[in-house]
Amino acid sequence: MASHRTTISLAGAATAATLLLSACGGVSTSTGGDDGGSYPSGTVEMYVGADPGGSSDLISRQVSTGLSDALDASFPVINASGANGALAAAEVASAEPDGSTIAVQNASLFAITPLAVSEDEVTSIEDFEVVGGVSRDDYVLVTNADSEYQTIEDLEGADSLKYGTTGVGTGSQVAQALLFGDLGVEATDVPFDGGAPALTAVLGGQVDAAALQIGEAVENIEAGKLTPLTVFGPERVESLPDVETATEQGLEVEVAQYRFLTVPAGTPQDVIDTLAGGLEETFATEEYQAFNEQNNLAPLEVSGDEIVTMLEEDGQRYADLLDEYGISLGSAS
Amino acid sequence: MDVNAFLDGFAVAVEPTNLMYCLIGVLVGMLIGVLPGLGPAATIAILLPITYNVEPVSAIIMLAGIYYGAQYGGTITSVLLRLPGEASSVVTVFDGFALAKQGKAGTALGIAAIGSFVGATIAIVGMTLLAPVVASFALDFGPPEYAALALLGVLLVATVGNGNMIKALIAAAIGLLLATVGRDSFTGASRFTFDSLELSDGIDFVVVAMGLFGVGEILHNLEQRHGKVQAPAPVANVWPSRGELKQSSGAIGRGSVIGFFLGVLPGGGAVMASLVAYAAEKKRAKDPSRFGRGAIEGVAAPESANNAAATSSFIPLLTIGIPANASMAILFGALLVLGVTPGPALVDERPDVFWGVINSMYIGNIMLLVLSIPLVGVFVRVLRVRPAILAPITALITILGVYTIRNSVFDIFVMITFGIIGYLMKKAGFEPGPLVLAFVLGILVESSIRRSLLIFGGDPTGFVTRPISGTILAFLVLVILLPLLRKLLARRTRPGGPSGPASPTTPEREESLR
Repeated sequence: MASHRTTISLAGAATAATLLLSACGGVSTSTGGDDGGSYPSGTVEMYVGADPGGSSDLISRQVSTGLSDALDASFPVINASGANGALAAAEVASAEPDGSTIAVQNASLFAITPLAVSEDEVTSIEDFEVVGGVSRDDYVLVTNADSEYQTIEDLEGADSLKYGTTGVGTGSQVAQALLFGDLGVEATDVPFDGGAPALTAVLGGQVDAAALQIGEAVENIEAGKLTPLTVFGPERVESLPDVETATEQGLEVEVAQYRFLTVPAGTPQDVIDTLAGGLEETFATEEYQAFNEQNNLAPLEVSGDEIVTMLEEDGQRYADLLDEYGISLGSAS
Repeated sequence: MDVNAFLDGFAVAVEPTNLMYCLIGVLVGMLIGVLPGLGPAATIAILLPITYNVEPVSAIIMLAGIYYGAQYGGTITSVLLRLPGEASSVVTVFDGFALAKQGKAGTALGIAAIGSFVGATIAIVGMTLLAPVVASFALDFGPPEYAALALLGVLLVATVGNGNMIKALIAAAIGLLLATVGRDSFTGASRFTFDSLELSDGIDFVVVAMGLFGVGEILHNLEQRHGKVQAPAPVANVWPSRGELKQSSGAIGRGSVIGFFLGVLPGGGAVMASLVAYAAEKKRAKDPSRFGRGAIEGVAAPESANNAAATSSFIPLLTIGIPANASMAILFGALLVLGVTPGPALVDERPDVFWGVINSMYIGNIMLLVLSIPLVGVFVRVLRVRPAILAPITALITILGVYTIRNSVFDIFVMITFGIIGYLMKKAGFEPGPLVLAFVLGILVESSIRRSLLIFGGDPTGFVTRPISGTILAFLVLVILLPLLRKLLARRTRPGGPSGPASPTTPEREESLR
C-alpha cells in the first residue's frame, strides 16, 4: 500500500511541476477592455512566434517584464513557434480586440516572407494595430579571416560565390541577394537553419560569406576569426564602429530586422495608448537599455504609424529590387 | 592547459552557494526530464529571469545542471513507460523497456545511471584536455560530412530493434517520407501541409515519438488486457549485479568515447552518438539476437553515449560561440544577459566561468549518481501501480508534454493520430523505433545533401573527394558489403563443397537465413 502512495505522489509531483512551469504560459484569464480606463485589469497574453531562447523570444520576455512593472499587470509570454511567426500572428489576429492578447512581431514576416511563400500563406499587417516600434537587429556580412575575400571589392572580382543565409525568407537572405545582385556577381544562396549553422559554415570555410545578426557574429569578429565587410542597416552599428554600411559603400542595399508591438485590429485607442505608455516606460529603464546593449539591438522607439509605413516601403523596395536583378527568394513566390 | 586556472575553477565550483545551485539545477533537470514535452530548452528559458540577480557563474552552473540532469531524467520514462522524450533516448527504449517488462527495470536504470555518469565524466576529462582540438573538428564538418553521417545513420536504423530487417526498412522509409512534411527550407514551397499553417514547420519529433511509442503502447495494452488476464511482471529493485556490470563495462567505455566525439557536432550529434553506440555493440555481440529483447549493453551503450554527447556539446559553445542545440542556444543567451560572451576569448577573459562551469559538471554528475541510486528504487515502483491507474497517468504525461512544446492543441491531435498508427504498427509487427529515428535523420539527410549540392555547384563527386565525407561513405559501403562478403566466403569454405552431399540443401538454408 505504501508503495502505491509513493508512486502516485511521484507522478503527482511530476505533473505539478509541469503545471507550475507551463502555468507561465498556460493560464488565460481574459481582461476586458470594456470598462475603458481600467485596462489592463488582469492577465495579458503575449504571444511570440519563435522558440524559447532566440532573440525574438528574449526581446518579448524583456518587454513583458517592462510592461508588467509599468502597467502593474501580468504579461505571460506564450511561445507559439512556426511558419516564421505566422502561427503566433494568427493567434493574435483572431483574438478578442480588447488588449488581452498582444505580441511583439518581426518585420520579416510582413516585408520578406511574402516574397518567398505562396499568397495564401501571407500574413497581412492590416489584421493588426501597431502600438509602436521596439528595436532593430542589424545584419553584418562576414567572411572567414583566412579567405581571399576581405573587402567588398574582393567580392566584386569573384566569378562565383557561395553565401550562407539564416534561412529562406529572412533578412539575411534578402540582404545578400540584393548585395550580390547590385555587385553583379554570380552567387549561390545556401540556406541554413538559423544563425548558428550559418556561422559554423563560414568559420569552417564551407561557404564564402554569410550575413549574420550582430550578436551571433561579434565575438568571432573580435577574436579575429571573421572579417566584417559591411553592415546592412541604415546606420553603423555601435559595437562595430569601423564597419561601413552598405549604403556608405555605394550599394543600394538596406535591410534590417525590426520588431514592434501589435494588438488585433479593432482594439480601442485608449488600450493602445496605455500600452504605448507602458512601452515608453519600459524603454526608459536601465535594465531594458542594458539588455539592448548586451544583445546588440538598436532602439527603434517610433510610433506605430511609422512602423506600418516602413513595412510597406521595405516590402515594395525589396520586391522591386529583386525583380530588377531577376532573383526569386523561393519557388513558391 | 592552464593548471592553475583549472584548479581555481574547481574552487569556484565547490563554493557552497554554487554547490547549492548545482543541486537545484540537476534536481529540476531530472524532474523535467521525466516529462517528455517540456524539454531543458524551454525550462532554461523560463527560469532565465530568476537568474538575473545571481552571480553569472552560479546561474550558468544551475542552468547547465538542468540540461544534463534532464538527460538522465529522460532515461527514466524511456525505460519505465516507453516514452523517449528526446531523440537521443529512442534507442534506449528497445532494450530498456524490454528489461522493465522482465522485471529488471532496476537493473536498466542502474546501468543507465552508471553509464551516464561514466559517459559524462569521460567527456568532461576529454573536454578539459582536448576542447580546442575537438572544436576545430566540429568546424571541418560541413554539409557533405553531415550528409554522409546521416546516411550512415539511416542504414544503422535498420539494424536496431529485434524486428525483421525488411519491416524495419519499410518503417524507416515511412519515417523519411514524414520528414518531408512542412515548408521546404530551400524554396519556401509547402509540402504535404494540406494548407495548414500548423504543419508548415513539419511535425515535431516529440509528437511523433509520444504517439507511436507512448499512446501506441497504451492502446496495445488495453486490448491485451481485454483479451486475457495478464500477470504483471514481478518488479525487483535489484541494483545491477557484478556480472551485469562487467558485461556492460565495455559498452559503457565505447559508448562514452563515441558520444564524446559525435556530441561535438551541432545538430543531430547526440542522436547519431546513441545510434552508432548501439549499433556498434550489436555488431560486436556474440549473439546479436539478444538485442531488442533486453540486452543490458543495449541500454549501457546509448545512455553513456548520449550523456557524453550532452557534455561535449558544451565545447562548441564555450570555445567557438556556436550553440550545438536549442538548450545551448538559450545558454548562449543566458551568458549574454549575464554579461559573458561565449566564444574563442572566453577561456582567457573569464577563466572562472569557463573552468567553473566545466568543473561543476564533475560535481553535478556525482550528485546525479548519488541521487539516482536511492531514487531508482522509488522509480521502479511505478511499475507496481495497477495498469488501470498507470495508463491514464501515462496518457496525461504525453498529452501535457506535447502541449507544452508550443502551446498547440493541434499537436495533441496529431499525436493521437500517431498513437493509432503506432497501435496498428504493433499489431502488424512493425517496430516504431526505425520510423522515429529515420524521421529525425531524414531532415538532416535531405537538407545536408541539398546544401552540399548547392556548395558543389551540382557536382556530386564532391562527396567522395572530401576527406571526411569520403571516409564515412567508404565505411558505409563497407558496412553494406561486409555481411554479403562474409556470406560469400562462408559458402566457399563450407565443408563438402559443391560436389558434397550437403550441397543441394545449401541454397535453401541460405535463403532461410536471410
